[in-house]
Amino acid sequence: MAINAPRRVRDFWPRFERRTTWLVAGLVLFFATLTAATLWFFQDTLLNYPMESLVIIAAVAMSSLITAILVHAHSTKPLRHLLSAVTHVSGEPSATTPPRPNDSALEKSGLGVVLQTIYSLASQTAPEDDAVTPAEAPARNVVEAALDSTLCGFITMDEHHAITYANKAAPVRVDSDGIMTLDVIFNGEDTLSAWLTQCAESSVKAEHTWARVANKLPNEEDRRFFDIIASYNKGAKNEVVLVLVDRTQLYSVGEEELDFIAFAAHELRGPITVIRGYLDVFQDELSDVLQDDQKELFRRLAVSANRLSGYINNILNTSRYDRRHLKMHLAETTVIDVYDTIRDDMALRASSQNRLLTVSIPNDLPTIAADTTSLGEVFGNLIDNAIKYSNEGGAIAVSAALNGDMVDVAIKDHGIGMPGNVVGNLFQKFYRSHRSRETVAGTGIGLYISKAIVESHGGTISVQSEEGRGSTFTVSLPTYRSVADSLRAGDNNDGLLKKSETGVYIKNHSAYRG
Amino acid sequence: MAINTILIVEDDRFIGEMYVRSLKKAGYDVDWMVDGNDGLIAARNKAYDLLLLDVMLPERRGGDILNALRGKEDLIPNTKVVVLTNFEQDDDSRAEMEKHADGYLIKAEITPSKLLSVIERLGA
Repeated sequence: MAINAPRRVRDFWPRFERRTTWLVAGLVLFFATLTAATLWFFQDTLLNYPMESLVIIAAVAMSSLITAILVHAHSTKPLRHLLSAVTHVSGEPSATTPPRPNDSALEKSGLGVVLQTIYSLASQTAPEDDAVTPAEAPARNVVEAALDSTLCGFITMDEHHAITYANKAAPVRVDSDGIMTLDVIFNGEDTLSAWLTQCAESSVKAEHTWARVANKLPNEEDRRFFDIIASYNKGAKNEVVLVLVDRTQLYSVGEEELDFIAFAAHELRGPITVIRGYLDVFQDELSDVLQDDQKELFRRLAVSANRLSGYINNILNTSRYDRRHLKMHLAETTVIDVYDTIRDDMALRASSQNRLLTVSIPNDLPTIAADTTSLGEVFGNLIDNAIKYSNEGGAIAVSAALNGDMVDVAIKDHGIGMPGNVVGNLFQKFYRSHRSRETVAGTGIGLYISKAIVESHGGTISVQSEEGRGSTFTVSLPTYRSVADSLRAGDNNDGLLKKSETGVYIKNHSAYRG
Repeated sequence: MAINTILIVEDDRFIGEMYVRSLKKAGYDVDWMVDGNDGLIAARNKAYDLLLLDVMLPERRGGDILNALRGKEDLIPNTKVVVLTNFEQDDDSRAEMEKHADGYLIKAEITPSKLLSVIERLGA
């Protein structure tokens, strides 16, 4: 940041004038020298060859014209910015974007302070408009009556982002002091207040939309869904205007779909239960009869059935996540305890596909706050990928280590790896790289849902990859201690910690994040 | 408390037979009910050591059965209950059942031998 940037309006002019004078003087001096040198150098030509002389004179004239245009552009630049800002606050329609006061170039020259003053003056004088003339009053009543009769919510906010008007359909909560607050649950970190903070820092005019924002949690009565369109106009009387389109009918179909997926999963899991069950029984009961190669075929059957049930869990979780229903039940546990729930399954998967799986998770790592089933699915997805994208006989290493307040779990393979452009898209839903679409089976939701699950734990997932060398996926999870502390100290009031007989459960504040 | 007698309430014939076969082979005394009403009656009439309860059942859902048995007062204090389902319930219903049960397992995630080890641990 420019530490020396002028902070007062009056500082702009002396600085600008000084710089411009130096610039003009410098340019003129340079140009005069150039002209003199040209005349000196070409004096013979000028005297004896009239045609060539014309070209030289034209070149000199042309460069003096360009110099003049440059000087003009430079010295009128502040005027252009000022006019653009004044046009913006006057409310006249304009196609140009008004200048941002904290643009680094404007901040440096000192014009940023001037623009800031214009915007804040405009916002101070605006309330005078409140004196509604008798002629305007009926028109306002008509508009307000019309707004109250629509199903769309309409909300205006002042420069402090307090609600100044909300129509009947707008989902607002009014407290005992009559102060209105927007009563919707944004999905994840993309909230209205986050966006407004960002706007206040760096925008004069901006728009943003949020789709499928609910006003209640699942299963609460009178749950409605909105698409929200927000407009931001720095310095305007209504700095923020929100339009909330009620999409409950459209999106509640999605709620029914969730039921459909739950039922479909139930139907799919039934046969899988029987297949897995009898494979288990047969492997046990026929172990004396079966040849080694037949046993191997049985193992493959078991691995395939296990993977099927893993896919069903991915589909269920993705469906829940997309409908904002994915909920984590975080409890104090360790990485090794989580891994133990999938250890046998992973060992079987790796050995049946000729991969060398080594797991080294230290016993003495701090505990983490985790939903064991979901986190086990994440590790399973990552190991599955490591198997898929590596070669026969390839080594896959699972390791864990403490890294500050986080426990890092790394799954490393020496497989085909990925180029950089693939890595960027990797965690998108249904994303499959061009190559993997041709050669490797899969749906492209494993990493998408893994990321969602890890983030619902307050963690991160990242990947390092080199084409032809292999990939390392790292899941970083906060230690139980750090999460429990921040949840207790945090200002969220979601019933943070809930004691149960089997341990301390955290009702995760990010439960509805997804 | 060692587990000897087990009641299974399960409407899927293949799955029911599979569990009954494995549990009997392991030496347990097993009764099997197919619908929810019969399951509730059986659970109230005989003090089983363990009740394996499905959720999606004809006549009466698993949640209702568990609520009738343990909702107000514990009518089966000497019986362990393990919910065994493939149905993905909503969180509240699941939490409600988990509160009254000693275990909650997804059938597709376990095999008969894993179920046996869970039962062994419960009886230990």
